[in-house]
Amino acid sequence: MSGTRASLLWVADGAGAIGIALALALAVSDPAANRGFYVSALILLVASGALRAWVQTAAATTGSRSAAAAKAARRPIVLAALLGVAPGSRRLLGEQVADATDRLEDMDGYHARFRPLRTAAVATPLLVAAAAAFASPIGAGILLATLLPFAIGMALAGSTAGRAAAAQLEVLSRLSGLFIDRVRALPVIVGFGAEDRITRQLAETTREVALRTIAVLRVAFLSGAILEFFAALSVALVAVYCGFNLLGLLPFPVPERLDLARALFVLVLAPEFYLPMRRLAAAYHDKQVGEAAIERLDALAATAEPERAADAVMLARPPAIRFEAVVIDYGERRIGPFTLDIAAGRATALSGATGTGKSSLLHALLGLAPVAEGRIWIDGQPLAAGGLGGAVSWAGQAIALVPGTLAGNIGIARPDADRAAIAEAAERAGLGPLIAARDGGLDLPIDATGSGLSGGERRRIGIARALLRDAPLWLLDEPTADLDEASAATLTEAVLQAGRGRTLLFVTHSAAAAARADAREVLA
Amino acid sequence: MTALDRLLGRIAAPYRATRLAATLCAAATAVSGTLLLGLAGWFIAGAAIAGVAGIAAVQGFNYLLPSAGIRLLAILRTLGRYGERLLGHRAALLVLADLRVALFEQLVRRPLGAGERTSGEAAALLIQDVQAIEDRFVRAPAQAAALCGIGAALLLTLLAGTAATIALAAILAATAAAAWTAARRWLPGPAADVQRQIAELKHELVEYAAASPEIAAYGLTASINAGLAEQAARLDAARLAFARGEARLAALGLAASGIAMAAVIALSHGSLPITLLAVLAAAGASEALGALIRSFGRDAVIAAGLARLEQLAQANDRKQAAPARPAGERLTLPGTPQVTLAAGERLAITGRSGIGKTRLVETLAGWRDTPDPALLIDGQPLDAWPPEARRSLFALSPQNAAMIGGTIADNLRLARPGLAGEALWRALEAACLAEEVRAMPDGLSTWIGDSGARLSGGQRKRLSIARALLAGRRWLLLDEPSEGLDPETEAELCRRLALWLDAEGCGLILVTHRPAMLPLAATQLQMEG
Repeated sequence: MSGTRASLLWVADGAGAIGIALALALAVSDPAANRGFYVSALILLVASGALRAWVQTAAATTGSRSAAAAKAARRPIVLAALLGVAPGSRRLLGEQVADATDRLEDMDGYHARFRPLRTAAVATPLLVAAAAAFASPIGAGILLATLLPFAIGMALAGSTAGRAAAAQLEVLSRLSGLFIDRVRALPVIVGFGAEDRITRQLAETTREVALRTIAVLRVAFLSGAILEFFAALSVALVAVYCGFNLLGLLPFPVPERLDLARALFVLVLAPEFYLPMRRLAAAYHDKQVGEAAIERLDALAATAEPERAADAVMLARPPAIRFEAVVIDYGERRIGPFTLDIAAGRATALSGATGTGKSSLLHALLGLAPVAEGRIWIDGQPLAAGGLGGAVSWAGQAIALVPGTLAGNIGIARPDADRAAIAEAAERAGLGPLIAARDGGLDLPIDATGSGLSGGERRRIGIARALLRDAPLWLLDEPTADLDEASAATLTEAVLQAGRGRTLLFVTHSAAAAARADAREVLA
Repeated sequence: MTALDRLLGRIAAPYRATRLAATLCAAATAVSGTLLLGLAGWFIAGAAIAGVAGIAAVQGFNYLLPSAGIRLLAILRTLGRYGERLLGHRAALLVLADLRVALFEQLVRRPLGAGERTSGEAAALLIQDVQAIEDRFVRAPAQAAALCGIGAALLLTLLAGTAATIALAAILAATAAAAWTAARRWLPGPAADVQRQIAELKHELVEYAAASPEIAAYGLTASINAGLAEQAARLDAARLAFARGEARLAALGLAASGIAMAAVIALSHGSLPITLLAVLAAAGASEALGALIRSFGRDAVIAAGLARLEQLAQANDRKQAAPARPAGERLTLPGTPQVTLAAGERLAITGRSGIGKTRLVETLAGWRDTPDPALLIDGQPLDAWPPEARRSLFALSPQNAAMIGGTIADNLRLARPGLAGEALWRALEAACLAEEVRAMPDGLSTWIGDSGARLSGGQRKRLSIARALLAGRRWLLLDEPSEGLDPETEAELCRRLALWLDAEGCGLILVTHRPAMLPLAATQLQMEG
């Protein structure tokens, strides 16, 4: 447990502090002492400083390691939540991405600093007080007595701060999402000359975030001030007590008579008594942010779909599909119920007015749409939670591109495909002219936004993927959109040819394309 | 003075008083901290000597003043710290909120194509890099205060003789110099690494999230997760390297503190109380030095972020005059022969996919700045009309029907300021979307998701058309307006758009593959490569 090791190292830092106090007390206690004694006291002083330097470095490094381990354990759950939903069911993508990166990083300080310091904040003051008690039990008692009001104050401030921090985190996450969204939509904003309005809206939001942050900090600083006050008070009390004891002027009888060495030892230890708690308070922000992040990540994990078993589903042959009173519920929008049968090994065209939920049905087959009611049957078996992922040929309505090359983009459909197979799929999808016209051919560089590709070329990349995969089930969402009529007819023909004998379900608005299918279903 | 400093100076001006107050509080904190330690040491040493010397010495020892001073300093230190933190953060947060918006404005006003930034990177710039400046703002008072604390300690040490003072000053200065150098050597690399790895991770996540259907369909989850885990491991390694660097930097200060105290004791020429006063003041100075060293570390780290922001701040430092706006009476489009449109005329552009129809309308509308010598507005080439000028003339419904994350009304109101609800409904009627919006639970206030992802493709398309209609420009540019629509809706859309154009009298350039939309235009331009 590197977390425990870090705590122990922080406690060891307290030992270094005791060493310094001891060295100072020895060095000044008796000016008449021999020179060797004096020099060794100074050496102890320097060595204790060096010890603290080493111990603190080791503690910080060890803490950082344990934080890395904690984050690594969380990461897969967060990623599953991010990648396990269709693009349509997100609120703000930026927000989710911030959850999967920034919120995870927010755990860093919590595990690296706060947790080790929390353990040390209990153990080290006790160690320091015990050492102080050797020199002056009453001095140690003063230190311990100031602890109680301090703890009460901290507890009061801390609980309020925790709530405010959680709210704050939510706002920050929103803000980040908002900026990502607006930057992505810049062409539209600029195109309509809406810069000023959007900027004003952002200004309001950022100011609100700033004001809320100040409110959170006010509470955090108040608890800090309580701590500072008692730390300063304990030093002052110890100093005054020691002074009056040395003068013999205390107004009440005490069972101890101090000398300078003892008094100095206790005085130097007094700030060290509160130091671990001040360090903890400095890491309090880490705690608030970390705990709020953990809460948010827990909630995210709870809504995530059950772990998707990669390639768990195998389709041995083209399946028959039955949608039975399926209702898809996005929360604000409900679609369905739909009941329809898709015959095995045949091409079915799915049409219907826009917005009736054709794309959602295809997403449901991948387990990416929230099916609230009804059942989906694949060859008489209920559809697994993870859907048919890994077992289909797919071309969605929006063709997602990954940064890389044209060949790489097609190749994601079948990672083991060789270059010849990719070239053939590209050719059959009608990408021949593109490959011939551009430098690089199949190695044409492609960025994620697909800049430089026309809408039709993107479609063809999607089709090429489906052709390359050649799974028993093909799911195609408006495969010929963005294409002129002649190109669309040619491509439809090519797809139907290649997909003969497979279960082929394609969404289309084109009557001509639908007429080429073996069966037609209309969603109402 | 850099462009960023100028920008910051302008934004921070109203908060000058707050920042000054924060600095004063910080100085009070640091000085009273050092004095508290020194005074306490002197007090008990003096008390010890008086106590040993007998009752007369005790009577002669003024204990009231030092003990009251100790309590006063303790309270001062507490209040000072609270004030410094609250005021410093208050000023920093408000300044930085304004800075974020100012930088966003720069981003918006930058010429087209000036930065191929992805949205994730830009957001990182506006959120994380600005946070780094915030950090600098917050630390500024503490940095000044640390110097005050050290100064106070050196003054106290003077009582113990010049040798001790010079030694203390030398040790502190040497440590500060070493820390300054070390901070630049140990921290910027790992810090930049952390930033880069986070940005890369975010970038990958944004791409993969958009591709989630492909990932599920082709069973790529396992391999993508493995790739992401690798990326994340690089991030963790960079963080560890950074944490180690920071800790080693702090260790320098700790090690120096022991040496400084030992040196002061060894070299002190003062009496015992004075020696104690000096040595505890040296301890206080070391604490202040520690704060200074932490600050050095932060400065070294944010340098890269500042450079990035500086680039953005410079981008548009000079204000340009508003360009002359074309009247848009006459458009000339490439083709054989050239096609010329008078205001209010309607043209359909067809041609095989990939030939450049989208590029043509986007260039015309000022959404991109690719030169096209054959395009003329009012007989003048595009050089005469910069993109900003052209935008006032055209309302484009782009092929990808891009939306902002928000409600239906948010997206429609992008078109023009001051649009009433009634106008929005009229445009939605014309775009054949009103009925569907009415059926949505929240009507115009329906949240349409990230980039409008909760709408179907056809719905997004029609929302984009409605938005273009609302802009009230002289020319309407529609890029594949009926893509993703069923034939009935398409025919209805064609009919209603014709009615709208008749009523408003604006011109139209329509890019389409679909024969059903062609009746909307009087003339047709077949583009050929």
